[in-house]
Amino acid sequence: MKISRADKDGIVVLQVSGKLMGGPDADAFDQQLKQILGEGGRKILVDLGDVTWVNSTGLGILIAGHAQVGRAGGEMKLCKVSRRVESILMVTRLNMIFESYADESQALASF
Amino acid sequence: MSDRHGGAVELVIPAQLEFLDLVDNVVEAVNELMQFDEDARTAVSISVVEAGTNAIQHGCRRNGSGRIHLRFEVGEEALTVVVHDPGAGFDLARVPDPTSPENLLRERGRGIFIMRQMMDEVDFSFDQGTTVRLVKRRR
Repeated sequence: MKISRADKDGIVVLQVSGKLMGGPDADAFDQQLKQILGEGGRKILVDLGDVTWVNSTGLGILIAGHAQVGRAGGEMKLCKVSRRVESILMVTRLNMIFESYADESQALASF
Repeated sequence: MSDRHGGAVELVIPAQLEFLDLVDNVVEAVNELMQFDEDARTAVSISVVEAGTNAIQHGCRRNGSGRIHLRFEVGEEALTVVVHDPGAGFDLARVPDPTSPENLLRERGRGIFIMRQMMDEVDFSFDQGTTVRLVKRRR
């Protein structure tokens, strides 16, 4: 997994690419969120457009991140979720937890 | 594999999450052989990755020197995937429903549920390790 960061109108966009599957990915994602929250960022958009697949451990990373941002009084949303990732979110009913948008502009406007 | 009906592919990987990408590539090729539709391909891909994840994380306890055995049996009626790890197994009756409200935000514990939702058959056996058998029938 790789993460790149962009700041757009007060919203931090984390573009995630590759596989989201736990292990070192959890630490990398957690560190990014800690840094953003430490800087005062509270609006975070996770772009999953380049994520080829996610497993249940990877879902755990997103859940932990969502909770971490929520505890800090912020919001973490998703965009560009692939069919495969959407399927796993639907089956696990995590689509009820994550606010998700088809494209970045819709997601940015929602904050 | 020369015959779509009755052929099998076997794969042995180290118990490291990084190797799940290789497994996923094999699944993609097997899905093509089975001529599954898009929904079935997605279901098989997700489920086999989950079975592999469980085998690595629980069966081998992330011990990278452990080995996971996978067998893909391409049949006329169905695809059967068998995933074996050396772990002692677990009590299936104690696997919680991850979609119940009290569990929905738990970070772990979704793998078996996902496989059961997406495959036509999911069976476990605990004899000289843990074996999960996944079946997806051709529609």
